[in-house]
Amino acid sequence: MKSRLFAGLLFVVLLPVTLCSTPSPNSPQQAASKKAGQDTSAKQAEPFPQVPRITAEEVERLLKEKGSVVLVDTDDPVSFEAEHIKGAVNIAYDPTVEAREQDPLLSALPGDKLIVFYCNCSHEEDSAPMVLEMWELGYSRDKVKALKGGLTRWEQLSYPLAGTDVQAAQEKGN
Amino acid sequence: MQCKIPAIGIASSNIVHYATDYDFKYNNGMPIRYVSVPFPFTGQPRAVDVGYVSGKDMLTGQPLMSALVSALTSPLTADEKISGAPPEEAVEPRLLPPDFEENLRQLFDEKEWTDFNSIILPTERRVTAMLKGTSHKPDEVVKTINITGGARQLTVEKVAINAVMAGASPEHLPVILALSTQAPFGNSTSSMANMVVISGPIRNRLKFNCGTNAMGPYNRSNAVVGRAFTLMSKTAGDLRNNVNAWETLGSNLQYNNMCYGENEEALPAGWDPLHVEMGFKPTDSVVSVGTGWSSIASVGASQVIYPTHFLMRDYMGSFCASGSAATIVIDPTVAELLKNVHGFKTKAQLSEWFSQNVTKTAASYWGNGVIQSIAVPFALQGLEPYASWRKLPDDALIKPFTNPKAIHVVVAGGEVQTMWFVTDFGIRRGVLIDDWA
Repeated sequence: MKSRLFAGLLFVVLLPVTLCSTPSPNSPQQAASKKAGQDTSAKQAEPFPQVPRITAEEVERLLKEKGSVVLVDTDDPVSFEAEHIKGAVNIAYDPTVEAREQDPLLSALPGDKLIVFYCNCSHEEDSAPMVLEMWELGYSRDKVKALKGGLTRWEQLSYPLAGTDVQAAQEKGN
Repeated sequence: MQCKIPAIGIASSNIVHYATDYDFKYNNGMPIRYVSVPFPFTGQPRAVDVGYVSGKDMLTGQPLMSALVSALTSPLTADEKISGAPPEEAVEPRLLPPDFEENLRQLFDEKEWTDFNSIILPTERRVTAMLKGTSHKPDEVVKTINITGGARQLTVEKVAINAVMAGASPEHLPVILALSTQAPFGNSTSSMANMVVISGPIRNRLKFNCGTNAMGPYNRSNAVVGRAFTLMSKTAGDLRNNVNAWETLGSNLQYNNMCYGENEEALPAGWDPLHVEMGFKPTDSVVSVGTGWSSIASVGASQVIYPTHFLMRDYMGSFCASGSAATIVIDPTVAELLKNVHGFKTKAQLSEWFSQNVTKTAASYWGNGVIQSIAVPFALQGLEPYASWRKLPDDALIKPFTNPKAIHVVVAGGEVQTMWFVTDFGIRRGVLIDDWA
């Protein structure tokens, strides 16, 4: 015989959460930006304005001081392989997975150098969230920045690139 | 990105099982073809791996190379032509239909919404009462969790449901809400564990145990908050055994996540609390989450002939040092020894000493699977120090904890024994509890 608890039937709040097909606008990064008093949706021109930018010119100068800066390309591995800033390493940004899944890679980056994230996007949409995640990992705020204008700006200035597409173009030119 | 190049996945049978059972069913839009080899192939003599290549595909039974060519060249079936975003899941009702308690308990267990210890069933009345512990609205989204298959919104109400299930009281809710921003906890085929550290005035207000038995089953706040993190991780994170939780051994630490408070009152002068080192004010109440795998305890009292920090250093040398992560939890008596006898005036000095003095051989460093998957690609891309370390002979000593800021020191315990734990837990920046009151 079934035993009843107090009044018998319990109305239990259903636990599962609704699955959506697309990421919600309330991503951890956006939550972080809202926390900082910034609403990214209201300012499309520069998402994540709390993330400090660094110009391509400044990075190029720092790269000449060997070892003082680490460049991180946030594009997917196939695109990275095709073209990236010379000397960059690849940690792909994927907005559909938990940012923390990249923590093992991000935390392997040196803590004593300037780390510059860049993307192949117009307003650092993919590189700035990585900067925020680095802050969560305890990296100094003044040592992690996003490259303003990303790969596009770097190309415009004809700064050094590497990758299979770049190599093929060079061979074709020769 | 479309490359228009035929591609298939080649993976060990355990991963293919995961991918076909869960991942591509929900996530990828277009199914991926796989060819499968036996598991494990890592750590095997080369001849074994060669045998896998000359052997059979675990999925079709065909010779592996034939299966590979076939998978790459045969036309897509109708099912395989599916593309785009996966269909939206049906919206589930907020309330379960009324039922008997035993049936509901069975349902919760079957759904894996529990840790398989008894829960407090989250009735509407109990959840409403729990929600009085915060000023935030029930439908406020605390966090969107990107899981395999989409994005899940973790609302204040859903956190409150988990808090009820864990046995918490409304006054615990702000702590659990702050903690929920860090959910779900780490999940990997290698068995991960977590550490929840409570800092600031809330420790005393809610009577978190920071002293004797800080990590033992002797305190309600430690117990329910630590447990709530597990329940939130399992429910909102959709972690189900052999579905998308594939930790080969699992970790007993996941029942409570080592939840404890720092014994801030017993810190030696000059040693700041964990949250203050992170940049918070001493008067802030903060919860911090660490993730790692291992914890090694000291055994017996500290000895003069071999200083405590030497022994800690030796033990830390057995960690993989992924991300330089380590958290050392020490009894106040050990903290006093380290400061007064060995001269570490701050926690940061001690962290720096570990960074400079923990060594391991290059072979031991590169012999770790996590390091292989993380640092080898960086080494091949020329990132230092990994590129240089790859060139070292096996017996060369390296200092793997390159980032002293990733080595945290937390003081807890009841001054009953000169006891300490060294762990490989990396602690993320803490979360302000006061924001969730």
